[in-house]
Amino acid sequence: MLPNWLARPALAGLGLSPGYSFILYLALIFNHNLNFLQFTFENILILFFSLLAVFGALMMVTRKNPITSALYLILNFFCVSAIYLLLRAQFIAIIQVLVYAGAIMVLFLFVIMLLNLHDESKLSEKITYKKLSAILISLLLFSVLAITVYFSYMNKYREIHSSAETIGTIEVIGNELYTTFSFPFELVSFVLLAAIVGAIVLAKKKFD
Amino acid sequence: MITELIITSTIKITLVIIVILTGVAYSVYAERRISALIQNRIGPNRVGPAGLLQPIADVLKLLLKEDIVPAKATKPIHTLAPMISIFVALCTIAVVPFGDSIHLFSRDIRLQIADVNIGILYILALTSLGVYGITLSGWSSNNKYSLFGGLRSSAQMISYELSMGLSVVGVILMTGSLSLQDIVLHQFGWKWNIILQPIGFITFLVAAFAETNRAPFDLPEAEPELVGGYHTEYSSMKFALFFLAEYANMIVSSTVIVTLFLGGWQFPYLQTFGLPPLVVSLLQVFTFVIKVVAMIVFFIWVRWSIPRFRYDQLMNLGWKVMLPLALANIVITALLIAIFRS
Amino acid sequence: MLTQQILDGLSKFYPETILSVTILVIVFVELFFKKKTRVSGWIAMAGLAAAMLFTFLQVNIPAQTIFFQMVAVDPFSYFFKVLLILSGFLIVLFTFLSDEIRSSEFKTQEYYALLIALTLGGFLMASSVNLLMMYLALELSSLSSYVLAGYFKKSNRSSEAALKYVIYGGVSSGLMLFGISLIYGICGSLDMFAISAYLSANPVNLITLLIAIFLMLAGFGYKISAVPFHFWTPDVYEGSPMPVTALLSVSSKAAGFAMLIRFFLVAFQNAGHPTITTEGLHQYITLPGLHWPEVIAVIAVATMTLGNVVAIWQDNLKRLLAYSSIAQAGYMLLAFVVVSPQGISAMLTYLAVYLFMNLGAFFAAILISNKYKTENIEEMKGIGYRSPLLCVSMAVFMLSLSGIPMTAGFIGKFYIFSALINNGYIWLAIIGLMNSVVSLYYYIKILKNMFLIRPQGDTGAVSFGAGYSVLLLALAIPTIVLGIFFGPLTKFAEYSVQIFGLK
Repeated sequence: MLPNWLARPALAGLGLSPGYSFILYLALIFNHNLNFLQFTFENILILFFSLLAVFGALMMVTRKNPITSALYLILNFFCVSAIYLLLRAQFIAIIQVLVYAGAIMVLFLFVIMLLNLHDESKLSEKITYKKLSAILISLLLFSVLAITVYFSYMNKYREIHSSAETIGTIEVIGNELYTTFSFPFELVSFVLLAAIVGAIVLAKKKFD
Repeated sequence: MITELIITSTIKITLVIIVILTGVAYSVYAERRISALIQNRIGPNRVGPAGLLQPIADVLKLLLKEDIVPAKATKPIHTLAPMISIFVALCTIAVVPFGDSIHLFSRDIRLQIADVNIGILYILALTSLGVYGITLSGWSSNNKYSLFGGLRSSAQMISYELSMGLSVVGVILMTGSLSLQDIVLHQFGWKWNIILQPIGFITFLVAAFAETNRAPFDLPEAEPELVGGYHTEYSSMKFALFFLAEYANMIVSSTVIVTLFLGGWQFPYLQTFGLPPLVVSLLQVFTFVIKVVAMIVFFIWVRWSIPRFRYDQLMNLGWKVMLPLALANIVITALLIAIFRS
Repeated sequence: MLTQQILDGLSKFYPETILSVTILVIVFVELFFKKKTRVSGWIAMAGLAAAMLFTFLQVNIPAQTIFFQMVAVDPFSYFFKVLLILSGFLIVLFTFLSDEIRSSEFKTQEYYALLIALTLGGFLMASSVNLLMMYLALELSSLSSYVLAGYFKKSNRSSEAALKYVIYGGVSSGLMLFGISLIYGICGSLDMFAISAYLSANPVNLITLLIAIFLMLAGFGYKISAVPFHFWTPDVYEGSPMPVTALLSVSSKAAGFAMLIRFFLVAFQNAGHPTITTEGLHQYITLPGLHWPEVIAVIAVATMTLGNVVAIWQDNLKRLLAYSSIAQAGYMLLAFVVVSPQGISAMLTYLAVYLFMNLGAFFAAILISNKYKTENIEEMKGIGYRSPLLCVSMAVFMLSLSGIPMTAGFIGKFYIFSALINNGYIWLAIIGLMNSVVSLYYYIKILKNMFLIRPQGDTGAVSFGAGYSVLLLALAIPTIVLGIFFGPLTKFAEYSVQIFGLK
């Protein structure tokens, strides 16, 4: 371990450095004249974030403490968001963070804290045949999906399409939403209305 | 090309972070001096001339304190929480333009770290993450006061995020872009958004106060009820990080408010005066800094003038006043734009 | 141009628009009433009636798509709209007459709003021709039905039903989304016609496509409670308020079938190849090498067999009806295996008949639980002597569900089996017939308890108000009449087979 006097500045530095490198990363991504980097820098980043996303997902499933699981899920969301960013889908990337990490997971944490699961060992069982079969089924599903995706997409999406740069922007998405997809867009509002009415019906203590 | 980008970006980031950290130190000092002024006290005046070296002394003190972690705390998360707070506070600045562009060393340097074309969404996304630091610190401390603080802050921040996001929509409708640089450019001359979007400004301001957990919305750390709120169990550098994050949040919110509503780096009609470009650029940066400082002083002024809300008042204000106001603002703005554009 | 197209679409969208407005009106209006009233129920009725009127105006509209190829307006969707409105109307009446809902302390405006939302979702499910629209319509009707299932919050059974429904619904719609994403990845479009065009013109990996189809089937199968996705059905049917159960067993099932038929026939037809008509047999041409009819056949057989076999052991009338409705879904799927207009029209006929007999059975069950406070079949001994009209109607519904001649159910089954035999699926027809025989056992068991055993204890006659009797007869009489005079219904079903974009 570090000596105590060095530990604290080191800690502070650690706290600052992710932010620092994150800003640097942003600065690099958002200057569009980086095309010549496509085969090295970007691919390495995609690989890195994909691996990190898988790691986060695995940790999320295997942790016993629900809060830790939730945190790993957030890590996963971030990595997915970073991959979106690398694929030039900026809007989706930001929405991923804003909606999933920023709103939904906060509510998750909120609920977990309110439930106040003191004895976390109760939540985790020993390895039973149920668990084993769950693992087997998910492995099977994974391999089937991996094989199918590999075979049918292998030569289809080799590199980022030249139009990706323009497709992912919010202007284009907004245009699509208000023209071709205007009807589904309106329908979503009804879906949300039904959900809100339903949530109030179920959550309200007494109708008066 | 790429190396140049990395170098300029690194320099910009370093400069901005240094400025913010110094700013934090001196806004703490300013807060203490101004509060003393308001409360008819003297305030810190011993360390250095007029107490100006006080922040350095504070930092040294915090660095040398013993770091105490409660025995039953969840240690990794207890350590992680302040990091998240400071991460969020500092990253928001990446998209805020602090000037147009400056011609130095025979090249144009944009005075913004990253011109993200969805800058506002980026800011909202990061703000929505700020709640994690507080919530997790509250939970991981294994202390009821901390937990209450954490829960309060998550409810509060989620409630006010909505009106914050909605109040920005008016500005976006006016500008037609989500890039902060475009928004600033659009506020040329007298056309500051505070004049064109008064309701949006008020709702955004209130939401910004709530998001930064500053008084009158500082319920997560309400001293009379919750001891220290979420940071009751923090000490030494970890506490300092929270402290840093709070003030950095304040500064960053000020920059965002200035950018969105107070014309950003625009000095009315400065470009038409015919000054040399370098002077114009420097004056613009200076204007920006002045505006931000004014905003910070406003933050401090409010904190020491208005009493804290009760929890139900806070929720009522958020859901029954701010949210409808922000929604009405969007409808009115959209209508007016539809009328005047066609 | 853009506005023109949207306005043009809206002019063919009146029924749905009226339903949407009805939802909003219901949510607002009852805010002004302090006490529990039936106002929102009447508004719901008025809305449904108006929607019905405007649907009828669409009767001869040429098949077309509106809103940038999102929604189809064609005879096929017309059929389902009529069906859904009819069932919505009956459910509102059931709710009026159900003691269960009247005695609860809850106001019912949200109930009716959600009921209309479910109907609206069903409308869109029946008419969407875009995978995105399909998913959203499915979610609209699912979200409303989750809440409806749990509407009695104080009852543990109702809450349990809602929770189970949500969990199963969430998982299966997630799987369906995954399937949609795979198909989108393969074809590069969410539009069913574009998918069909792409698949006909380009070689694709069939394994991927089949997996995508399986995943999509999870969503459809959950809506129609077909076998691997049926687990929620008994518990949810048992726990939900009775009118809601009736609604789930008819409206959402019918909408699910509509979506299933349209998706499979339109997206997986072999575009560019004309229809082959040999020996008077008209058949849709599906993509070569893609064996989805076989998959459906297996699911259909499993569904009806499981439904019928498990129903034998049930004592609770609602659970029994739940398994019976699973079995009925199996029969209807059988008709789909024959990928021909004949099969589809048989299926539509069966659905129309099913509406009357199944809603009738549930209404009889509501009345029994109103008056005798029981859902247990063993406790229904001899009630045939105490309320003859009710039990005779129940007998009609039960016999019709099992497919005895002279009832509507027979006609439905007859058309299905003849479609199967005509197209060479004799083995499927035999399995279907055997299942019908099995089902007879448990339907007759109810009748045995009602009529063949003398009542013990209280033997006084139990009568109902006129409204109850009228509604009961309104369901029982069509069930018999359609068994004898079925010409118009089958004509209507044959006419409704015209699906937009299908040659």
